Parts: sequence; structure tokens; C-alpha cells
Amino acid sequence: MPTEIIRLDLSLRRNSLLGYTLGMAVYTLVIVALYPAFEHSNSLDKLIEDDSTISALFGVTGPISTSGGWLNGNLYANFLPLLMLLLTIGYGAAALAGQDEDGTLCLIATLPRRRATIVLEKAAAMALQAAVLAAAVAACVVVGRWFDLTTTLGSVVSISATTLLLGVDFGLATMAIGASTGSRSLALGTGTALAVSSYLLASLASVVSWLHPVRYASPFYWSVANNQVIDGARLGDYAVLTAIALAGLYATVTAFQRLDIH
Amino acid sequence: MSTAAIETSSLSKTYRATRAVVDLFLRVEPGQVFGYLGPNGAGKTTTIRMLLGLQRPSTGRAAVLGLDAQVDSVEIHRRIGYLPGELALYPRLCGRQHIDLFARARGVRDRSFALQLCERFAVVLDRPARELSKGNRQKLGLVAAFMHRPELLILDEPTSGLDPLMQDEFERLVRETVADGRTVFLSSHELDEVQRLADRVAIIRSGRLVASDTVERLRRNTPLRVEARFRRPVDPTSFAKLAGVSVTARDGDGITLQVAGPLAPVLTEIASHDPLDVLSRHADLDELFLELYRDPPPEATHAD
Repeated sequence: MPTEIIRLDLSLRRNSLLGYTLGMAVYTLVIVALYPAFEHSNSLDKLIEDDSTISALFGVTGPISTSGGWLNGNLYANFLPLLMLLLTIGYGAAALAGQDEDGTLCLIATLPRRRATIVLEKAAAMALQAAVLAAAVAACVVVGRWFDLTTTLGSVVSISATTLLLGVDFGLATMAIGASTGSRSLALGTGTALAVSSYLLASLASVVSWLHPVRYASPFYWSVANNQVIDGARLGDYAVLTAIALAGLYATVTAFQRLDIH
Repeated sequence: MSTAAIETSSLSKTYRATRAVVDLFLRVEPGQVFGYLGPNGAGKTTTIRMLLGLQRPSTGRAAVLGLDAQVDSVEIHRRIGYLPGELALYPRLCGRQHIDLFARARGVRDRSFALQLCERFAVVLDRPARELSKGNRQKLGLVAAFMHRPELLILDEPTSGLDPLMQDEFERLVRETVADGRTVFLSSHELDEVQRLADRVAIIRSGRLVASDTVERLRRNTPLRVEARFRRPVDPTSFAKLAGVSVTARDGDGITLQVAGPLAPVLTEIASHDPLDVLSRHADLDELFLELYRDPPPEATHAD
């Protein structure tokens, strides 16, 4: 597979990727280091139990003083997906529609490459960026073993993988919207709206009864909102998230074949 | 008949209500410089984008190097060099990184020709593109278009932003390219540039082809410009009533006529007014172009 476009886009996004990764790594280390101070805080669990709707808004379900609960409530249910989505949705909007608006897309679209190959390279560049962020956070969480966190390595790896897939799903959906419309702002706006509504659906489904049956429609449910940090991700989680990614990839390729490039 | 470097048949592109290119028939023979002229917004860039497969025609078809522009765009891209009209580079990458990128992507292993071009055009290689002037960015674009010695070069406003020295260098490069048997399709709104380089020109206005011929034949077919001076002022109506004659200027005892019809009746009329001096020549090509540019055809709309 040609790799020039992957190298190019990674080099163009190097600074922002570095910023996201360093910021998230520092935040994770702080969260990990703070855990011993809250490990025996039953009052925090009581607070969550008393106001489960507000807690659910932040993706927190169940006790927060356990290792899994602490990581879920402070990292995997909210901040990591948020940063991951900022990274992938931002790239998804810039990769085709944004570069077309900048006038640089024609530079690569006139190279001897099929349009489908260009999309595949860009999807790979997105997955690599998401992988760097997820791996950095996972590495910092593993450090948590020295701070009383007892989460297993397998759980950390599996939640990192589903978070990565979550980012890629929304990133590709954004890229597909960009390829259909040629508009970076429309892609960014629609991709963000999809992600926010999906997040609310998955997090509030545990406390709003009429939302409960439709939680399966949210990629968050299959990624971070079904206790994956404690139980580990299931095969079905990977399958659904991968299927969404493939559908996004197909939609992007189809739309990009039809896009009038400037 | 040899395979045309470029051939379009009934090529049209419509954006919503705007007809950017209308029913375009073009044929560019291999081994020549073809000038594609038109005012801003005439449809030149849209034509090029369809040739490159970047945009799909609304109707008609385009073939480049004998290949279908839509179906075989990968093979076409392998064999052409392209300079966009509004060249945008990656702001943070320096000149050298741009050259490396395009060389790697096109599988150019021997970069000696690319470096030679960089030297000829005095390309700034070590500064980020965002710090480069328009001319320096353009030179980088020219190197990227020529560096893999493509069979066909499609250049949209190639000398935009270049100083006269670099324009000369560009013209030398184009002549060398054509002498090598390769083809150059040159889109421009600058008549002088095209006139100096092109074997054939096509003129497009409001998306429609209004003329296509060799530069020499276009020049020969322009109307005659006749300037006459007389001993005393003459009545211009005696000239204006002649077939194909219009009076374009009158200055004291002098008169300037544009003659699109036979010359003999004009000379007879001049002789009857006791002339002092008569000068006859074909109108400048510029005048023809200006005339073609000026009058919009019916239904005409825009756009590049």
C-alpha cells in the first residue's frame, strides 16, 4: 500500500497530535496519581448514588472509588473519548473537504493514485493518530499499578482499542460528510452533533427509561458505556465498532469518487 | 491520424444554473505548445479540471493521451505534469520537502533533473511555503510539474507571479520540452505569453470556444487596418458606406479604417480624395483578442 499520503498527513498534523497526546498523558498521570486519595472515599460513591442523573451525564455509573470506577468516571467515559473525537473529527473534516477548500487536495488528487487509495491512506493516517493517543493514555494507566490501581492489562488494552475504534467511527463519518458536501464546516458541525447526541444517548440510557432500549444505536455503548473498563470489551463490541468503521469507509470512498475537486 | 494529446468532444460543465463550459470541441496534437486563452472566468480552469478527472463533465467526454479522462485518470496522472492556476502548497513544509514528497509519490528515483530545475529557477528550498512570495511558490510548482519529464504538461497560468527573467527561463524550458517531442497545454489570459510560445491557440469566452487556429492564421484573418492622410479633411461617410468598412478614427486630415471586405473599393475611394499617405496592415492580434473577449455571446455565463 502506498504510504506517501499517510506520511504527509501525519507530518502536517504532528504538532496537534503531540499537543493532544502530551495533554492527555499529563491529565491521565494526575488522575492515576490521585487515586490513592479517593480509594476509600465512600462519600463520593454516596454522592453519585444520590444523584445518578447528573453522574450519568458525565458518563459515570456505579461506584467511583474502585479502580475501574475511578478510571471510568475520570477518563474512559468522558475525557479520553472527548479528546479522541476532537482529534479524529477534526482530521476527518480537514482531510478531504478542508484540503479541498485550502486548494491542496488537487495536489494529491493529481498524483497517480486511485481516489479509493487516497481515502484508505487518509483513514490509516486517522487510525494511526488515534492509536498514538490511545497508546499514550494506556501507558500512563499501566503506571497506575504503582498507585494502587488494580485494573488488568487486558482491560486497559481492550478499552483502548474500543476508544480508538470509537474515534475512527466518528472521524470516518465526518470524512464521509466532507466528501459528500465539500464543506469542512458542515462536516465538522454534523460530525460533532452526531458524536454529542450519541454520547448523551449512551450515558443517559442508564437513568432515562425510554432511552434504555435505544442505547444500542450509540457507538459509545459499544465502546466505553457498557462497563468495558471493568469487564473488558466483548467480541460484539469490536464487531459493531468495526462494522461502523467499514460502513464509514465505504461511504467516504463512494462520496469522494463523486466529489468535484477544486 | 496520430492519437491526440488532448481531445474533447461536446464537453460541457454546468454548476447549478451556471454553464461554465459549453459544448467544447478541442484537439491538441502531440509535440506542440497549445495556448488556451480566455479572460478570467471564461471556463479555462474548469476545462482543465475535467481533463484531469478532478471534475466530472455534465455532458460530453474528454480524452488525454488517448485515455478517458474519467475512467483512466490514474494512468493519465502518471503521464502528465500539472500546475494549478491557484497553486496552494502546504504552509509548514519547505520547498525541499515538497519536492521530496512529489518525487516519492511519483517514484522519481533520480532527482538530478529536479535539482537542475531548482537551480535554473533559483527555487528557495529551505524556507516553509508560508514564508515564500507568490513567485517563489510558483517556481516550486513549476519544478513539481516538470521534474518527472511527463509526456504532457497542463499548465494553468504558469507565469503568474514570475519576474521577467524567470518568464524567459520558463519559455526556454517549454521550448526544450516540445523539442523533446512532448506536449504543453498552456492556459493563460496573457496574449503575449501565448503568442510567443504557442503553435496553436484556442480562445474561450463565457465557456464557449470562439476561435481555434494557428497564431499565424489568426493573425492573417484579422481585418485590415488602413490609415490614410489627405491634403484636406474628408467626409468619412463616403468610406463608411463601403461594404465591410468601418471608420475607427478621424483626426483632422487623417482617417483610420477597419476593412473586413475587399480592399480595392477602399483604395479607389482613397485615391479620389487626393491622398498624401496610405498605410495598410493587419490589425494587431491583441485587437482581435480584445474584440473576441469583449462581446459576450447570448446565454453566456461564467466561470473558472
